[in-house]
Amino acid sequence: MGKNIYLFCSQGMSTSLLAQKMQTVADHHQLPVTVVAKPHGTLPQTVATEAVDVIMLGPQVKYLYEETLAAYGKRRPVILIDAADYGAMNGERVLKQALLGLKQARQ
Amino acid sequence: MMNALEHTLMPVAEKLGRNKLLVAIRDGFLITTPLIIVASLFLLFNNFPIPGWSEFWAGIFGEGWQAWLSNVSRAVFNLVGFLSCFGTAYAYGRELKTDAIQAAGVAIVAFIILTPTDLTLKGGTSIIGLDTEYLGTNGIFLGLVVALVAVRVYAFAALRGWTIKMPAGVPPAVADSFAALIPSGLVMGLFFLIRIGMGLTPFGTVHQFIFESLQTPLKGAGNTLFAQIIYGLACTLFWSFGINGPAVANSVFAPVTKVLTMENLDAFEAGRELPNIFTDPFSNFFTNFGGGGSTLSLLIVMVLFCKSKRIKELGKLSLLPGIFGINEPIIFGLPVVLNPIILIPFNLVPLMNLLLSTLVTRLGIIPYTTGVALPWTTPVGFSGYLATGSWVASVYQLLLLLLGCAVYYPFIKMLDKKYLADEQVAGASLDETDELSFDDLALDLDAEA
Repeated sequence: MGKNIYLFCSQGMSTSLLAQKMQTVADHHQLPVTVVAKPHGTLPQTVATEAVDVIMLGPQVKYLYEETLAAYGKRRPVILIDAADYGAMNGERVLKQALLGLKQARQ
Repeated sequence: MMNALEHTLMPVAEKLGRNKLLVAIRDGFLITTPLIIVASLFLLFNNFPIPGWSEFWAGIFGEGWQAWLSNVSRAVFNLVGFLSCFGTAYAYGRELKTDAIQAAGVAIVAFIILTPTDLTLKGGTSIIGLDTEYLGTNGIFLGLVVALVAVRVYAFAALRGWTIKMPAGVPPAVADSFAALIPSGLVMGLFFLIRIGMGLTPFGTVHQFIFESLQTPLKGAGNTLFAQIIYGLACTLFWSFGINGPAVANSVFAPVTKVLTMENLDAFEAGRELPNIFTDPFSNFFTNFGGGGSTLSLLIVMVLFCKSKRIKELGKLSLLPGIFGINEPIIFGLPVVLNPIILIPFNLVPLMNLLLSTLVTRLGIIPYTTGVALPWTTPVGFSGYLATGSWVASVYQLLLLLLGCAVYYPFIKMLDKKYLADEQVAGASLDETDELSFDDLALDLDAEA
């Protein structure tokens, strides 16, 4: 079974662009990964109903990081996306961060 | 100074983002907004701003075709207060981790308990029915208040497990089916008493009380240029530190701008004079183009006049999202965030747009917005026409966009020069993340299983 990476920002608009780029990179390298973008408001519901392996927050909601980490960080990595990578919509770097988080969580 | 400002703004955003009441109101409107947009399309079709439009369709469908479409728009607009109550109650129930749909159900019942159900017809006959006067725009604030109170009470009782105890031997599923009884009973009993109590005061109904003591004063305060300047500055100031400004500011301003917008929409539907300047479409389509900071102007200058590779690449990447009002690539990529050069026009251009748009609207050069709700992603040019029904507004939008380019020009050129110099000195630098290979990050899924 592959891993599900969830990206959250306020409305899920710009993160959907980044998610698309990350998915392209993942597919290119044949990594068993699904990248999904959603509005932050749907986080509790998403975690309750779907298999969320990594939570990544866009920099525009960095003020929600602590809260999200406290609520959901025990069972999966919660990562704040680097602002420069986010701005450049660098799918490869953000995907690497996600996979790195997964790897560290396993150790 | 930037540091001090960031240390003040972050906790504000955090507090507002964590406040369950404000989150519930904001997310509640997210539930009603799509409905309002769809209903607006029906209304727009009904009143499309082209001469002869109505007669053309009457020729095909016969007189009275508009009544069919009005039915759809009325189904939303005349119930918008009621729907706000439902949406906010659901969102608040979710925030309080109680049974959200049950809580929303009891909240709309509480809303109706407060609403007069005896109507007197013109002839003097009395019938039982609901006057949409109470359920529409005038009921928005009441809807919010009822939702918050009802769900709070419901959750209080439900989370304490106040329920009817069944004797041992009764199947657990049967006992569960009574779980909502006592919480619902408490809410309905409470609103029953509120209704009776308010009947003894000069206000007569809670609708009247909330409308006069909360909705009208707050609306009046929001419908001023001063309030709009505060709102606009709050949006760009939060973005200056990388925080989604409107997401923060709307948690406070949304109820008021919603009322202002719906009042125009009601008037537009009824063919009355439009009452308010400062509606949602006004602030979405006449103060910012291409996202907060009116960055579409910036983007145009970036693409046309900048020479550094960094800015040119970013411009190409951001152009398409930018046309639809999504500008995070610029905000974090240029970056705008904490960039002392760009922050000046980033905060000034929307302010200039707001002042000029208010002026030309007051002068009657562009009409008031009809309140017709469009997705905020609607591109410039189209949005001006659809929001006001006048081509003049589209032309005005484009002029304002160009004026914004002129303001951004000297600032972005300064940055461009700096990046150009950097690029000539240094090659690309790689850091740890770049050097990671996907092989190092292999997911070892087999090992795990």
